[in-house]
Amino acid sequence: MIKNKQGQMEMIGLVVIVILITLGMLFMAQFALKEDPAKKVFTRKGLAYSTLSALMKTSAYNEDCVNEYSGIREVPQLGKKILEDCALNYATKEPGLNACGASCIFSCREKHSCVFLEEFIAETLEETLGKWGKSYELRSVVLVPGTDFPPELILIKNKGGCPKTKERDSSGSFPIHTPMGLVESELYICD
Amino acid sequence: MNRKAQIRMTETVAVLFIFFVLVIFGIFFYYKYSQISILEKQQELLGMRAIDTTLKILFLPELSCTKGDAEPEDNCFDLSKLGSASSVFGGSAEHLSYYFDIFKYANITVHEIYPDSTNSWTIYDKPKVIMEEGREIKNWKDYESTFFIVTLREESEGNPKYRAGYLEVGVYS
Repeated sequence: MIKNKQGQMEMIGLVVIVILITLGMLFMAQFALKEDPAKKVFTRKGLAYSTLSALMKTSAYNEDCVNEYSGIREVPQLGKKILEDCALNYATKEPGLNACGASCIFSCREKHSCVFLEEFIAETLEETLGKWGKSYELRSVVLVPGTDFPPELILIKNKGGCPKTKERDSSGSFPIHTPMGLVESELYICD
Repeated sequence: MNRKAQIRMTETVAVLFIFFVLVIFGIFFYYKYSQISILEKQQELLGMRAIDTTLKILFLPELSCTKGDAEPEDNCFDLSKLGSASSVFGGSAEHLSYYFDIFKYANITVHEIYPDSTNSWTIYDKPKVIMEEGREIKNWKDYESTFFIVTLREESEGNPKYRAGYLEVGVYS
């Protein structure tokens, strides 16, 4: 009888220990499976989209970018005329090159359009996303028919960029049609 | 026999003591955890309010760019509207109360990045303050800001030009 009672007590002790361990595990699971706050995800996604959309629309005010014909001053947009010029002449892109030659329409800051775009966008992103502590990666490729590896027009990475292994959000693809083919730009933001 | 009982009693007391220490430790841990999660929740709610306000301002007809048939443009503010925004948003007590219903306690500023990074427009500024002896005293615990990159459209000679800028929305709790 006494032995039976002792056995019961031991069983109760065991059950208590199991309950305590289960509670501990539940707590740990709650910490581990905690989702990213909605704000973080929304901000990253919205910010990526708004950033690329704004950059593509921005006009290049630099005097040497402005075209003037028939008395009309045309201020080209980065994501349209300048990106198109870059796509058309990407074969002659060389870092630090002053202008790209007769075939280029623009020579903003006296540079090849691709070099100017890379430089200008990198500066703008550093002034904004960089200051706000975000890592980012911007890539523009031209999809030339019949090529497996599309040539990269622009590649900007901050703090190692945003590889697939990192938790990242994309702006989505921003395509424009050029005589060279479709140019696709995409911005990734990660923390 | 007595001695054996005494040893058993001591054993039971020790087990009970350890058990209660564990329980107290658990309660303390849970209390700290709930305190932190309440703070986190408050922070998240404040963040959500900042996002809400940002979305409202991004689609506000008083500021957004429109194409010919009043079709709004994404993430774009009209420079001419921005120029007179402060007088619209805070022009009269009636306006102030109308926009307070929308934005509550917040600060909304648009900064230009390119071409002139010195330009900025404070559209709405309503910090949480209390009046004490005729002086305004800060009455907020937390301030959460959200940033969004936007374009600023200026229309000249029929050709739209776009500047780069960002919208900063800060909310007070």
